[in-house]
Amino acid sequence: MKTRLALAACLAMTALAPLAAHHSFAAEFDDTKPVKMTGVIKKVEWTNPHIWFYLDVKNADGTVTTWGFAGGAPGQLMRRGIVKDQLKLGETVVVEGFRAKDGSNNASGGRVTFPDGRNVLTAGAQDRTPGEAR
Amino acid sequence: MSLKRTIHLAVLALSTVCAYGVVTSAQNTAAPAVPRTADGKPDFTGTYQWPTYLQGDERGRSSATVFDRKRFAPLKPGGEAFLEPRTGVPRHDEPRDFCLPAGFPGGMLSGNAMQFFQTKTYLVMVHEFQRMTRIIPLDGRPHRKGLEPMYYGDSVGKWEGDTLVIDSVNFNRWALDDFYYTNSKEYRMHSDALHTIERLKWKGKDTLSYELTIDDPKIFTAPWSQEFQIVAKPEWDAAGLYEYVCEDNNRCPGGKCGDEEKK
Repeated sequence: MKTRLALAACLAMTALAPLAAHHSFAAEFDDTKPVKMTGVIKKVEWTNPHIWFYLDVKNADGTVTTWGFAGGAPGQLMRRGIVKDQLKLGETVVVEGFRAKDGSNNASGGRVTFPDGRNVLTAGAQDRTPGEAR
Repeated sequence: MSLKRTIHLAVLALSTVCAYGVVTSAQNTAAPAVPRTADGKPDFTGTYQWPTYLQGDERGRSSATVFDRKRFAPLKPGGEAFLEPRTGVPRHDEPRDFCLPAGFPGGMLSGNAMQFFQTKTYLVMVHEFQRMTRIIPLDGRPHRKGLEPMYYGDSVGKWEGDTLVIDSVNFNRWALDDFYYTNSKEYRMHSDALHTIERLKWKGKDTLSYELTIDDPKIFTAPWSQEFQIVAKPEWDAAGLYEYVCEDNNRCPGGKCGDEEKK
């Protein structure tokens, strides 16, 4: 229980902590187009300058689209307690962010919510975060 | 350098020395022992958080630290180029989006860990962001001559008592700080005449005072300064700095993400 509480506290702190990234959110993502998607984690790229993770998202017509989400830099996330293993392949998660400006199926990956309700802020610092006033 | 600017710099240096004298005399009994190298100089070797704000200073919206506009000296006629508007051309507006260097001082203020290594001859400052490395000679040598302007300038250090004074010149015209992440209308571009003075000293058991003076005679009527703090993070020593290779997976340069990376 103590471990769970500690983990929850750690994740809550992580959610509040600003993270840095190399890019300007404004160059790549459109803060007028928030997205919130549920899907299965297909692939994780724990790479610089930003982590990318990919979700298979089921469409209304039953087809599946793979969406890419950009987060913060790996070092920044790791120093704040988020490690690659937390994004488990095959797990269903909810991701909130903002859609890519080029209209492709990519978005900023601002917040990830896990099946047990825990959530982490995976956004870069310059990113608009879900729910933030514009 | 004009007589006026020389006087400004002299006054600035004198006021800093005086302020330091007052503070040190007031804190003589309480001040913790400064870590020192074998030759008796203050030792800055260690792992640190990036320079962060003192209480009351204006903050930007990202974790990178930005300068407080109330510190700025007035702009000179023609200095309006400092607040250069965005052009809509991504390579100009967001050069780091293409993995171009952050430069100094902007990169130094970026929100990532730093590690310093000090010998008698050099202070090496390594910043996790873009693995920025500054090698600062401490042996009294002059600035190098005949080099092209650089993103990080040419730096030399000297000791003034327990304060390390780092003087840097020979910069490219480049973004001064990260304020454009806060306000897209304020893209603060220093000129190629930028001259910076950093004053680094131990302020407390785990805190350095880091004062940055911006002397840009093409932009400002006088040099101006802002003090930041640099907090030691010995708990980050074990993990050390993480690798940062921007070119590794920079998927959306200029906002062009595409869909080809998902297989």
